[in-house]
Amino acid sequence: MSEIVRAAALLGAGLCMGMGALGPGLGEGFTAGKACEGIARSPENAGLITRTMLVGQAVSESTGIYSLVISLLLIFAV
Amino acid sequence: MKKKSQKALLIILAIIIIEGILSIGLNHELQVGFDEGKFVIRNIESKKSIQDQINHEFQQYHMIKLFGKFIINWSVLRVILFVDLFLILFALLVKRKMHLIPGKLQIVAEMIYSFFFSLVIETVGEKKKYFTPYIFTIFVFIWLCNIIGLIPIPGNLEPTRNLNVPLGLGIMALMFVHYSAMKEKGIKLYLKEYAEPIAFMLPINVVGELAKGISLSFRLFGNILGGAIIVLVISNLTRFILIPVGLNLFFGLFIGTVQAFVFTMLVLSYTAVAIK
Repeated sequence: MSEIVRAAALLGAGLCMGMGALGPGLGEGFTAGKACEGIARSPENAGLITRTMLVGQAVSESTGIYSLVISLLLIFAV
Repeated sequence: MKKKSQKALLIILAIIIIEGILSIGLNHELQVGFDEGKFVIRNIESKKSIQDQINHEFQQYHMIKLFGKFIINWSVLRVILFVDLFLILFALLVKRKMHLIPGKLQIVAEMIYSFFFSLVIETVGEKKKYFTPYIFTIFVFIWLCNIIGLIPIPGNLEPTRNLNVPLGLGIMALMFVHYSAMKEKGIKLYLKEYAEPIAFMLPINVVGELAKGISLSFRLFGNILGGAIIVLVISNLTRFILIPVGLNLFFGLFIGTVQAFVFTMLVLSYTAVAIK
């Protein structure tokens, strides 16, 4: 019985990480593309744009980090 | 003058060596030498499986009981104290030789400080420039905590890898945000903001405020721990030859710097929203 639970936990961890990485990947790529456009349009603001981009990417990354923590818990705590 | 700075460098080196001697026996992460006729560069307790190694990364066992009641995780606290000692030494060295024409150390310190000074002024305005010391300190502390894992001393793990450290930093940041909001607005207006659209929204607002602190600390923790586990797994696959160096550079230097900056920037912008 416990082996089935373990297998389900591992499978769930893989699914959780895979699905949880979809959204942040899309969002961060979109942010970086928009930042590229902004820098191409006004190169003198490159520092400010890069800073804002990094902060925004880190915020949108947090859901991916949550899924990482959840899948680590599934692997090591269940 | 030059002899003094050499003396300071010697002191720092001595501290590093003492820390290395203190940490012998905590865990045998680094091992250089011959093992069964083969030259071993890095060997993390090779008898254990990778699962046990990752479990070990999680736990960081070395508990000390104080007065029979308090339990202190010495393997984390040791590295934090080392970071603190380094910061205090740096500050003393800079402060001792303050000149109008800056020396080398003073230039470095002034560069970082003026960067954060301009950041604070841009975000919260000229009047609130007294936020700068806290913001500066929290950045330097988290940054050093993240990159200290690059120094190859046994047991020299990043303190931010343990959840307790980012959680403490997050709680501190949350208290800072709310205290400055209370001080700025007055306690009546501050409490009134929680029931802002309608009184029904009170629990949702409270949970939203708490989630800020939790997401701050979990972001730092997850990034550092995830990087550490990736480095460990890939080092195991490649038998600790050459590739882990590049990975350590990416996860330790780049991710560590970005996450420290993001932590400070988010605290600053939360404060800017709260005192508006």
